[in-house]
Amino acid sequence: MIRRARMLIAGMAIAFLICPGASVLSQTSISDFEQTLSEICISDSGRCIAAIELGLAQTEFPSSEVLQFLDRLAVADTTILEKEALLLNIVIALEEGLPVDGLVTKGLEGFARGIALAEIQISLHQRLTLLTETRDLLYAKGIFSVAPGTPQSVPTALPTPRFNLLVNHVSDTIADYLDGGGSPFEGQTLYQEVRFRLLSLEGVTLLAEDVDLVVRRIEPADLTRVALSAVT
Amino acid sequence: MKQHEIDGILRDMLRQDVAEAMPGLVGFEEKIVLELGERRPRLRISDWLRQLLAPTRGGRIGQIGVVGATAAACLIIGFFAASQLGLHTGTPGIRLTPSRTMDGRQEVLFVLPALDASDVSIVGNFNAWEPTSLSDEDHDGIWTASIPLPPGRYEYAFVIDGRWWGQDPLADEYVQSYGEYSSVRYVGGGDGA
Repeated sequence: MIRRARMLIAGMAIAFLICPGASVLSQTSISDFEQTLSEICISDSGRCIAAIELGLAQTEFPSSEVLQFLDRLAVADTTILEKEALLLNIVIALEEGLPVDGLVTKGLEGFARGIALAEIQISLHQRLTLLTETRDLLYAKGIFSVAPGTPQSVPTALPTPRFNLLVNHVSDTIADYLDGGGSPFEGQTLYQEVRFRLLSLEGVTLLAEDVDLVVRRIEPADLTRVALSAVT
Repeated sequence: MKQHEIDGILRDMLRQDVAEAMPGLVGFEEKIVLELGERRPRLRISDWLRQLLAPTRGGRIGQIGVVGATAAACLIIGFFAASQLGLHTGTPGIRLTPSRTMDGRQEVLFVLPALDASDVSIVGNFNAWEPTSLSDEDHDGIWTASIPLPPGRYEYAFVIDGRWWGQDPLADEYVQSYGEYSSVRYVGGGDGA
């Protein structure tokens, strides 16, 4: 009986070992990116690889989506210069430690809709600007990001994944607002849009305390400034 | 043109779209209720395990522990195999996925009435904007797909015979990108989608 029990427990342990091992095998590796980048024939693939390595070190890096983005870019019927310009948005975001989910998914949407690369570039560049400006706004409001596991020196220093989620959603809301024809000068409307988005995700992907922190500290005029930076 | 005038025009256009889609919505609720009713009662694995591993008298604890551990191992292997084989994607006719899977995903039902369509799929930021087919097994023009999604905010559009349609009447909100509408669905952290 004891022997059988031991065998069963050993079986369970093997099952535990097999699962993560196989998951790791199915994950995207840097060589996948290198191969796709070589197909795009960009001039500075070293910089791209370095940026992607930075991304792969993040827990929330959407590696399969980024690879799909590169795959689409590789087969796009356009000049290498245009491809490089598009890719540069992702590279800069990664170098800056900004979340790239929104950029990548918007790029993939553009490809799927058959939008011209020049138009996708405008959209991604605008979103990159908004990400940067939103990150800087949160910094200016005393909301910081710290590496996960680092002792939280002040209550407004959030672990990077939580901070990046906030940056992503605030900037994405502003981008959607502008894409929908909203005026940057309608600060109050913009604020309500951001507030609605964050509250909708409270308890879903965002912590209530993080939402409260942002909603209390930012003001309509701040969002107007951020939005204006993307349209000027 | 002022913002409120644009809003008014957009509202009228949306109202007109919904009004045009109304004939296709006749019997829509019954269809969903039937669809949900056809699903088998779901095995609450966590409750079952808890019950199995609950402290009992004397020698049974060890025995139950072994059985529980074996069951857990089988579940893990089964879950892993299912995920590797892609059986969690709500393939028509296969009902392997519970409404809430072990990794916290929720099965979200997308429904679209498209009476004359021959092919309907859904694209969104949950599938990298790559089409996932909807099915209409009884050929009544109501197309459905059940997709397991982690909690979050999802943008999507239906593709009806190759034409994008981003105004799902069941969406929580709409956004515009590249000058076209996309629907948005919030998948909550609680029970149900």
